[in-house]
Amino acid sequence: MKTFSLNSVELLEYQPNRYPFLMIDYVTKVKPGEFAEGYKNLTNNEWYFPIHFPNNPNVPGVLQLEALAQMLTVAITTLPGNKGKITHALSHNVRFRKEVHPGQKFILKTKVESWKRGICKGYGEGIVDGEVACEATMTITIPEILEQYLPKNKT
Amino acid sequence: MNSEKYDKVFIDCFSVDKAKLQKNLEYNSIPEWDSVGHMTMIAALEETFGIVFEMDDIIDFSSYKVGKEILKKYKVNIS
Repeated sequence: MKTFSLNSVELLEYQPNRYPFLMIDYVTKVKPGEFAEGYKNLTNNEWYFPIHFPNNPNVPGVLQLEALAQMLTVAITTLPGNKGKITHALSHNVRFRKEVHPGQKFILKTKVESWKRGICKGYGEGIVDGEVACEATMTITIPEILEQYLPKNKT
Repeated sequence: MNSEKYDKVFIDCFSVDKAKLQKNLEYNSIPEWDSVGHMTMIAALEETFGIVFEMDDIIDFSSYKVGKEILKKYKVNIS
């Protein structure tokens, strides 16, 4: 499949999260089923900076991880037939290395390691100023697909 | 031995002992064998026996015992 980009409006077709929880501004390059890359520009206007923390605003780790998971989702929802489908997190293992501050460009790079029967395993890095701020292995699912493969005798 | 390989998949995926398997472990009978556990187990069986399950067989794979019957379709006999 070819690579392409998604602007902030096009992105909404493939990523179900919305403001203030959408953690991606732009997808610079996505190859469906393989990888997705893009960024979030951070300004002082982000809703969490005034409270996390008043004297040292930085992006909460859980939102850094959410940003990576959202970008990995784009690598899957751009596959044929998956557009607009809801994804859920199954398990994430994350390592935080640097604080991420207002004014920085938070670059998100994710790659799909496997995609089978509604379950995606992948890896992602969040990068600021050329350095890895966080990295994570992630497992996400599209429940609508996963449920098609489950035994029906029990729920 | 196929039976040992088969048991090992269950033991590794669901952290159960052999005694529990003999009582015919079923889907959703333990927390570990949930939807994700099911797919993990199916993928592990495919890798262990070098097969690819058809969708209907993944759906029908509702218990340890039923799984043995399903595997026969793929020329994997579990004694």
